[in-house]
Amino acid sequence: MLALAGFGAVVWAFAAAGVLPVMLGELGLGTVGFGTFLGALGGAGSLLAVEQQRAAASLLVNPEAVGSARLAVAVGAAAWVAGWLALSRGLTPRAAVARADSAAKGKPLFPRLANSRDFHWGTLAAYGFGLFAAEVAFVLVYLLLVGKASTGGAVTGGLAPVTAFVLAFGGSVGVAFGAGFLGAANSRRLSVPEFTTALLYFGLPVPAFLTAMHHVGWLMLNVGYKLREVVYLSSLLGESRPELGYWLVFAGLVLATFLGINLGFVATASGRFDLRTSYESFIASRHVAVFRPRLVIGVFLVLILGIVPPLILLAIVSAADAAVSRTRIKRLGLADPLLAAEALNEQRLAAQTPTAMMTALSVGGVGVGVMALVIVLSVMSGFEADLQKKILGTNSHGVVMKYTPEMPEYAEVVEKIHRVRGITGATPFILNEVMVSSEGNISGSMIKGVDPKTVGSVTDLPASLGCEAGRPCQPMEALEDPTKIRARRLEPGVGEGAIDDTPAKPPSPLIRDPMVELPAEAPDDSVLPGIVVGKELAASLRVVVGDRINVVSPLGGELGPNGPVPKSRPFRVAGVFYSGMYEYDSKFVYIHLREAQTFFGIKGASGVEVKVDDVDDARGIMKRIYDALDGYPYRTKDWGEMNRNLFAALRLEKLVMAIILTIIVIVAAGLIVATVIMLVLEKRKEIAVLKALGVPDGGIVKIFLSEGLQIGVVGSSLGLVSGLAWCLFIEKVGIKLDPQVYYIPALPVRIVPLQTVLAVVIAILVTFLASVYPALKASQVEPVEGLKSE
Amino acid sequence: MTAPFLEVVDVYKSYFLNGKRIDVLRGVNVRIEQGELVSLIGASGSGKSTFLHVAGTLDAPAAGVMRFKGQSVFDLNDAQVAEFRNTKIGFVFQSHFLLPEFTAAENVAMPALINRRERRATMTRARELLERVGLLHRAEHKPGELSGGESQRVALARALIMQPALLLADEPTGNLDPSTGEGIHALLREVNRELGITAVVVTHNEVLARSLPRRLRLVGGQVVDADAAPPADAAPVGAPG
Repeated sequence: MLALAGFGAVVWAFAAAGVLPVMLGELGLGTVGFGTFLGALGGAGSLLAVEQQRAAASLLVNPEAVGSARLAVAVGAAAWVAGWLALSRGLTPRAAVARADSAAKGKPLFPRLANSRDFHWGTLAAYGFGLFAAEVAFVLVYLLLVGKASTGGAVTGGLAPVTAFVLAFGGSVGVAFGAGFLGAANSRRLSVPEFTTALLYFGLPVPAFLTAMHHVGWLMLNVGYKLREVVYLSSLLGESRPELGYWLVFAGLVLATFLGINLGFVATASGRFDLRTSYESFIASRHVAVFRPRLVIGVFLVLILGIVPPLILLAIVSAADAAVSRTRIKRLGLADPLLAAEALNEQRLAAQTPTAMMTALSVGGVGVGVMALVIVLSVMSGFEADLQKKILGTNSHGVVMKYTPEMPEYAEVVEKIHRVRGITGATPFILNEVMVSSEGNISGSMIKGVDPKTVGSVTDLPASLGCEAGRPCQPMEALEDPTKIRARRLEPGVGEGAIDDTPAKPPSPLIRDPMVELPAEAPDDSVLPGIVVGKELAASLRVVVGDRINVVSPLGGELGPNGPVPKSRPFRVAGVFYSGMYEYDSKFVYIHLREAQTFFGIKGASGVEVKVDDVDDARGIMKRIYDALDGYPYRTKDWGEMNRNLFAALRLEKLVMAIILTIIVIVAAGLIVATVIMLVLEKRKEIAVLKALGVPDGGIVKIFLSEGLQIGVVGSSLGLVSGLAWCLFIEKVGIKLDPQVYYIPALPVRIVPLQTVLAVVIAILVTFLASVYPALKASQVEPVEGLKSE
Repeated sequence: MTAPFLEVVDVYKSYFLNGKRIDVLRGVNVRIEQGELVSLIGASGSGKSTFLHVAGTLDAPAAGVMRFKGQSVFDLNDAQVAEFRNTKIGFVFQSHFLLPEFTAAENVAMPALINRRERRATMTRARELLERVGLLHRAEHKPGELSGGESQRVALARALIMQPALLLADEPTGNLDPSTGEGIHALLREVNRELGITAVVVTHNEVLARSLPRRLRLVGGQVVDADAAPPADAAPVGAPG
């Protein structure tokens, strides 16, 4: 335990030593008392860290690492102490000038100045403990909800990870938000020093500790084992990099605290709890004037039609408009010069101010960001859904296997599986690798023995053979009964070694009997068992329905004079399937389960494929099956595990795209910062007047926050509407893709409501946060400064 | 004995010009009783406006105490100060300082809206006040379309909507021609007489000052009775502001 605490301290001192002095230096917190206090605390932390490092050294395997770590800690501690010494002495010390006493010597200082406090300990406590409690609560609540892990790797009891994560994260976000709110309400300001201190001293240690856990062996052994569910969750979050997961959650909690601080400040900045915004939003809406139909329609057109055409249109229209009004004023002036002057003045008044242009620009910027986010995320979801549909169509949602290659009791297993809740189908299968050869070509393939009666309840094989649900499927029946295959009758003289046989004969017992099976001697004109091949494979083998192909397997053959002889067997093509996945269409062939049994000498099946009603809960349902089968020697896998690489890559791609597009939104937020700052500069006089009329500082903050929010809301709504319009356009009209390259004929689109709403919410949050700084600046305008006339 | 209406004790205030400290108020002591109409005169840069800003809580002094009906105003927190300004004080400045995005009526109504009064009733009251200052026909005009005198009358109406106890006017006629200015003065006197609002009017117009019942003079950073101290030895404290 002691060593554990020591390591926390190392990481904490380390992170702090590198970052803190710089950050706080920039913040200009040269307060002597504050600096000394933190310096002392940091120094103690570093000392403790060094001591603990020594204690921990015995546990570590590599002594060299200890040495370098100790050196690093020493350097870090030195930098830390030096940084704080510099800070505590003041960053830019000035020589004290001897000043003469003023007339006011001995009089009481202005009370509000005298009573102001530089550092609120209560606020620090609220922020620090809030953040720390949120982190610890997240880990503990998650562990509690998800239940303890069993030895089999699967989880027993508790909630699904996603549900548990949502609950735990929601709860801890609430804690962080509440702590921020209370802290800011206590100090009635944003309290940057308190927040920074809380973040570095109470917030950072937990994720830093978790990250360190992955790099220190004994820590992982002692602590990581207990936290393995958290590690698993984090690797899901961070795309198999748990460290990223920790920091993502940490960032979320910090953001929640920050939002809480903002809201707490806004609500109580003026000394009383007040979230009403009646006159604030009235004033703000007049300032930004963002609901003007001209602006809204203009931005919408820009978003829908692309940027350039509407601008050209605008240029033409305004040029024509200007020309017309010039002519009108001139004619008026020829009759009455003063009326013309008045008209000119009216025109000048109607002209847009730079701030109005900036407002339009920032609305457009936010709109572009949200639109891009909505479109790209929808298209990527479309790709993902398309891929998932094809993979899940060809494959099952999950498989049940045994630790042995054979499952002779598959019928019982299927029966047990059917009793599990959430199962819509189960079918036995045998999977093996073989070579398939035709007269013209040869190809390596995956061969799958299926039960034609039940395979349709699990995969889309009948559908990809062109069969409709609920109707007899000719190729499937042919698989069941090979006599139904119509052999191809070629024109004489084509000379391809064509097979010319008649179908009506009953199956020969020779072929059914594995003992006397002689593959090469199977008569051409006999009834051959059916095989279903993929469209691409059929093309490369140059076969069509009715053709004969040979399946060659190195396994299960007899021993010849020169070692094992590969086993070969002829099949007749009963159907050609098209799944849409090149991988499958070029690799897979299907035969009847009993043919596979005899061909590979397998008793029963190699496993059972399962289809579930809720694809997203496949993991949970497979776990229920696992429990229903009493675990070992059975094992289960869901589709996510079977295709982990593919979906992980796709999700990572989506994550990266989302991050890139969020950067667009952040750039747009920069525009909002600029716009609101311009508004503040332009409105200095008005701010002063409003303060003179009795608007408290909190009210001014609310006015300008509301201005940023209005820009954000209008921009996001326009972006959302135009993004959805674009998605609809892509879906209905379609953007053609080269099927040879992408294997899909058109760009797929799938609008996921949750992620679309999330994109809009994130955009609005970002714009809200962007206007915090200018709003604070606005509230700091002194009434007298603005009121200095002229 | 009841507490005086407004009592300013030992107020010190400096401003800085090119890094040099100029002590503009040096221990100001003033008592103003309810219902008084007071003029404050003084040379340019003598600190008249500074005094008015401090008295109106728009500016923080370095030291000093101000009591309004016995309550120390400088001890109030931000919300209380804002409420004090909103409900107890009406300002009229040299420039009208109307909010350009709002109509005359909305400008007049603004203090009441800030007080979160009901919108409709407030707008009706604003129109009544505009009628009183003779500008009802201009109610829906924006400040940009009003003349200087009209704007100043709108500003006066705005200062009155919350029925303040104290009206602080900082050279309300400084930017106006004499006849328009006289109209504003007449309105001020009327307000004082009819509504019983205590008013302090800063001016350098001696004629106006003489027309008001009580005259104060800021000289040497201190407020003295204008009728007692001769204006001759009043040297400006700092450079003209």
